Amino acid sequence: MSTVTHSSPGESTTVAPASAAKPRPVSEFLSTYVFSKDHKVIGLQFLFSTLVWFLIGGLLALAVRWQVAWPWSDVPVLGKLFAQEGGQMSPEFYTMLFTMHATVMIFLVIIPILAGAFGNFLIPLMIGADDMAFPTLNMLSYWFMWPAFIAFGASFFVEGGAASSGWTSYPPLTTNPAASPGSGMGQTLWLIGLTFVGVSSMLGSVNYMTTIILMRAPGMTMFRLPMTIWAMFITALLQAFALPVLTAAGFMQLFDRSIGTGFFSPEGSMINNELTGAGGGQPLLWQHLFWFYSHPAVYIMILPAMGMVSDIMTCFARKPLFGYRPMVYSIAGIAGLGFIVWGHHMFISGMNPALGMTFMVSTMMIALPSAVKTFNWLGTLWGGRIQFTTAMLFSVSFVSMFIIGGLSGIFMAATPVDIFIHDTYFIVAHFHYVLFAGTAMGVWGAIYFWFPKMFGRTMNEFWGKVHFFLTFIFLNGTFFTMHILGAVGFPRRLADAYHYETFHHLQPMNAFMTYCAIGMVACQAIFAANFFWSMFYGPKAGRNPWNSNGLEWTAPSPPGHGNFDVQPIVYRGPYEYSVPGCEKDHLMQTDPPVEGMVVAAH
Amino acid sequence: MRNRLAGIFWSILFLAVPVLGVGVFAIAPSIDVWLPKDVSSHGKEIDSLFYFILALTGIVFIVTEMLLFWFIWKYDAAARGDEKATYIHGSHTLEVIWTIIPAVTMLFLAIYQMNAWADMKMRRPVMKPTVEVVARQFEWRLRYPGPDGDLGTPDDLFLVNDLHVPVDEDILIQLKSMDVLHSFFLPNLRMKQDAVPGMKIPVWFKATETGQYDLVCAELCGWGHYKMKGRITIESREDYDAWLEAKYREQEATQPEPMDEIL
Amino acid sequence: MTHFLPFLVTAMNRHSTFMCRNRFSLSPVALVLTVCGSLLFVSGCGKTPAASFRPNMVEAAKQRLKPEQEEQVATILEAMFGTPDNPIAMPETGLDIGKLRLAAGPVHSDIVGRKNGLFREHCSHCHGVTGDGMGPTAAFLNPYPRDYRPGWFKFKSTERADKPTHGDLVTILNNGIYGTSMPSFELLGEAKVDALVEYVKYLSMRGEAELNMMRYFFELDDEDEGKLPETRDFLVEEILLPVAERWQEAEDAVIEVPEMPEVDLAESIAMGKELFYGNKANCVKCHGVTALGDGQANDYDDWNKVVKQWSDEVQSSHEVSTKEMSREEKAEHREYLARADKALAGDALEPRTIQPRNLRQAIYRGGRRPIDFYYRIHAGINGAPMPAAAGTLTPDEIWHVVNYIRSLPYEFDGELGADRSMVARDRL
Repeated sequence: MSTVTHSSPGESTTVAPASAAKPRPVSEFLSTYVFSKDHKVIGLQFLFSTLVWFLIGGLLALAVRWQVAWPWSDVPVLGKLFAQEGGQMSPEFYTMLFTMHATVMIFLVIIPILAGAFGNFLIPLMIGADDMAFPTLNMLSYWFMWPAFIAFGASFFVEGGAASSGWTSYPPLTTNPAASPGSGMGQTLWLIGLTFVGVSSMLGSVNYMTTIILMRAPGMTMFRLPMTIWAMFITALLQAFALPVLTAAGFMQLFDRSIGTGFFSPEGSMINNELTGAGGGQPLLWQHLFWFYSHPAVYIMILPAMGMVSDIMTCFARKPLFGYRPMVYSIAGIAGLGFIVWGHHMFISGMNPALGMTFMVSTMMIALPSAVKTFNWLGTLWGGRIQFTTAMLFSVSFVSMFIIGGLSGIFMAATPVDIFIHDTYFIVAHFHYVLFAGTAMGVWGAIYFWFPKMFGRTMNEFWGKVHFFLTFIFLNGTFFTMHILGAVGFPRRLADAYHYETFHHLQPMNAFMTYCAIGMVACQAIFAANFFWSMFYGPKAGRNPWNSNGLEWTAPSPPGHGNFDVQPIVYRGPYEYSVPGCEKDHLMQTDPPVEGMVVAAH
Repeated sequence: MRNRLAGIFWSILFLAVPVLGVGVFAIAPSIDVWLPKDVSSHGKEIDSLFYFILALTGIVFIVTEMLLFWFIWKYDAAARGDEKATYIHGSHTLEVIWTIIPAVTMLFLAIYQMNAWADMKMRRPVMKPTVEVVARQFEWRLRYPGPDGDLGTPDDLFLVNDLHVPVDEDILIQLKSMDVLHSFFLPNLRMKQDAVPGMKIPVWFKATETGQYDLVCAELCGWGHYKMKGRITIESREDYDAWLEAKYREQEATQPEPMDEIL
Repeated sequence: MTHFLPFLVTAMNRHSTFMCRNRFSLSPVALVLTVCGSLLFVSGCGKTPAASFRPNMVEAAKQRLKPEQEEQVATILEAMFGTPDNPIAMPETGLDIGKLRLAAGPVHSDIVGRKNGLFREHCSHCHGVTGDGMGPTAAFLNPYPRDYRPGWFKFKSTERADKPTHGDLVTILNNGIYGTSMPSFELLGEAKVDALVEYVKYLSMRGEAELNMMRYFFELDDEDEGKLPETRDFLVEEILLPVAERWQEAEDAVIEVPEMPEVDLAESIAMGKELFYGNKANCVKCHGVTALGDGQANDYDDWNKVVKQWSDEVQSSHEVSTKEMSREEKAEHREYLARADKALAGDALEPRTIQPRNLRQAIYRGGRRPIDFYYRIHAGINGAPMPAAAGTLTPDEIWHVVNYIRSLPYEFDGELGADRSMVARDRL
């Protein structure tokens, strides 16, 4: 961290540590490292915060897995922290655990690590800008995460515990405080936290769009943008259009809970053996509003990773991206279609089945752009000169795992099959393959890849590969098995499913998955050690350790304030690797054209 | 040469994905971690569609994962000597092919299943409800219409969790919820439908075999979601009628039952 | 694990010198790994303490028991009843130890694969390991889960003050209590339900024995020096038997139910209606003229009343002036109040009023069979304000009221100005 803002231009390898400088007043420290408006510092603030929450979310997941594998048995660690009677986990504590696991992972990890950490760090660097268009907004987008951190974190300690109605927060379970212990103060804090996450995302999204549209370096046309930037751009668009709906819905739910409106409460229900007051609402309305945001949000959670993987993969395949334009169009297609498929979360919700049929068709169609992207990645690998760096391994595994996550989606898109597998572990397998085996693997790839740019040092490759290998094995052990559990109909969110005869025999399989999950979390210690050790003691990286093409690699590592020592001028797209007739195997975007060289025109 | 070994190692790791992936699905039925026994008339359609999609995605899965393995095996830098990577930006023809083929397949799949969906959720049999199921935290309250066939009359029969239906007959269930969302899930009858407070949702099926199966709640309904267990008993018309009558007699009891009948 | 980890690290370390291009010392990595591993090991394998019965702190504070007296009660109770993991059934209790073992203990399968620990699997998160109705979930439920310790049970076939029969409790477990959070456990199967009922009886006897002991200190002579005699005779005769015998007697004390009078149903309903609104039965007082349960609504049931009355008492003691007291008295007073506040906050739930039943919802907690209604009207509901009608109404009249009540959900809604949404036809 200390090295980020103090490298003078041109000095990429010798960076004076902050401690060597003369003592500076506190206010300067605060404005440099805490309330910084520099996009790189904000990006790293996001990165560190989200990695901490990643750990918390992972531990919550372990507690969930513990209960699923060995229900009602003594819980290690948490059993002592939240002592319940007889050491066993109470069922409402379990519902709280999986709710908060999802909430933390989605709202405090995946979305902010992609858009907040990498979006912030990479956008100005990759388009050749000296900073974001609105640095203050950018700073605020980070600091608006803190009320959310605090609200979600504090909700564990209020009466009744944290929100416990699932991250989807379906009413009337959530609108009536009597319906569930977590629907008391915990749910209110959850809604408040959600609103702040929304504000943060919105500030970021406005900033990214403006920056990408207005602040590109000379020569950087839209179709010379790296895929990462395209993905970030479309993600920002998605957020800008989908978020207001969620925010509005969140407020409606808050009003239902606090001032007695009845948007989501039907007439005359009886909750916890008492008649409810307000009526005239519809629980399905929430589902429509929620998924109108949250389905696009699923793409918000993967598109940036897809973009980053494309950049990493071309670099280590030493080959231009196969089908650049189709890749861009398919991202746009996913984003466009993403707005008209939300109903596939509601096939059996009581929504008109005819509407379900419509959503089924649009959902089937969204498989197309995903297929196009996969084939193009394969095309990129074909004929390359593949270097097996850690970042590359994570990227290849992203593709390999995304295939699984994508294909399992087709089962759910098929409405009759969805009748059976809806709300089973098949779904759990599906979205963990997309979000963990996909996005999280992409994020690790990106961390290994851009680490030199962030800290001026490279991460240890050997330990990186050990980390990759173990994570890859354990993640498949954990999540692949879920598919066949889903085929039995094993429902999600049950604290103890083994008293059903149908699922009685699945306990050993769940125990196996829990062992794998424990392994998966444990082997992140390798990553943490590697990360922090390399930050201070890793070998120094030059400006362009991977011989990559993007603009960010022309800046010093780490880049100083203002990013570039020389104004970059862009002559070509970012994927000109192995150009025939060129001496090097990569041709950077800023390398002036040489006469007689054949370069694709875009 | 050492580098080449690394390439081989990683390629084989990625080869393990399709091999073990297919292996898991191949073994699953034999260790009984697979679709539970189907006893409904419409379940065959769901199962065959499941197998059809499984085959289709299985082929795509194997082909793409094998290609991935083959490419990283073959195009490992260590294996290519001094040769440069192929300088190619894409292929219009290929893009068209791999857009059209999935598009046609998906469209076919979409149209192919529409009829099944309509049968299961849209073409409801014209009849009075066989039974009303009211979900509440955390049990299934059942109401049979009694001899007059109408719900909401004094001869209704009230029960909890223990659903009985006759075999080989159309069953129409009127599904309601008293408090929050629940989901009426019969794994062996391949039927699932959310219960929404304020709505009466029809659910229909026809059971083809007698037996007892689980009734599961599949939508998070609060802290006791896991314990919302019911049971469906499918029996012959005669047994069903006898059971209904016995239960009705029990409900109308004006004298205590002998101890051995309770226990 | 702690032995394994450093070994793993060293092994990898050695290996990496050949494989790793960037050669550097791995000791920091090894250090962090070892620390993380050991932390995981230490925190992960610590066992949570075994489950234990909680003492009845409300009663102890109320009876102003000394710490050593509390301890004595706990010791005697453990000797007589054992622990949650290892119950004891003294022959005087008439309890079946085999059934208790099935229900007690942590959730686990024994050597023949039979599931043990049924109570903790199905019951304790509401009713508490002790059966004090204070499980982790209890505070969020309406009504509160039953506290077995005073030995009062509502829905049964015996007279108001009597214990329920074994069959009564089996019926409750099988049917659940509609209108409360108590679900049906019928699908567990007969053997498990039977074991659970036995365990409920065990917890109830234990709780009542505890209460008896705590109250007995009051009757001690000076020569006892504030200690209960620990003779077998005393404990069995004075403490255990008064409780156990009443449980055993209940089996033969089922209320005799005469046949329903052979009158036309409509006629019977009309007579029942008259009684319902008349002074003799006076059902309207609580259940309201609309029968929506909107009559007298400021009553507490006995469980809540105990807490409510005592907390009012404590509240007023807080306001007592301490000026007149000597220093010792003052200290004692303060200590009593501190204990009382602690017990009320940690060992009792916030008292709630009891609502008379809405008779138009067709939701009946104590069962919907005519006979269930008969028992409830005849004997009243133990622990609740519902009085016994046995003295005032003849059996025939009780049957008329039963018939009227059973017809209420289907009565034309407009007649009494009832809220439509509360009527069975629409809402069940």
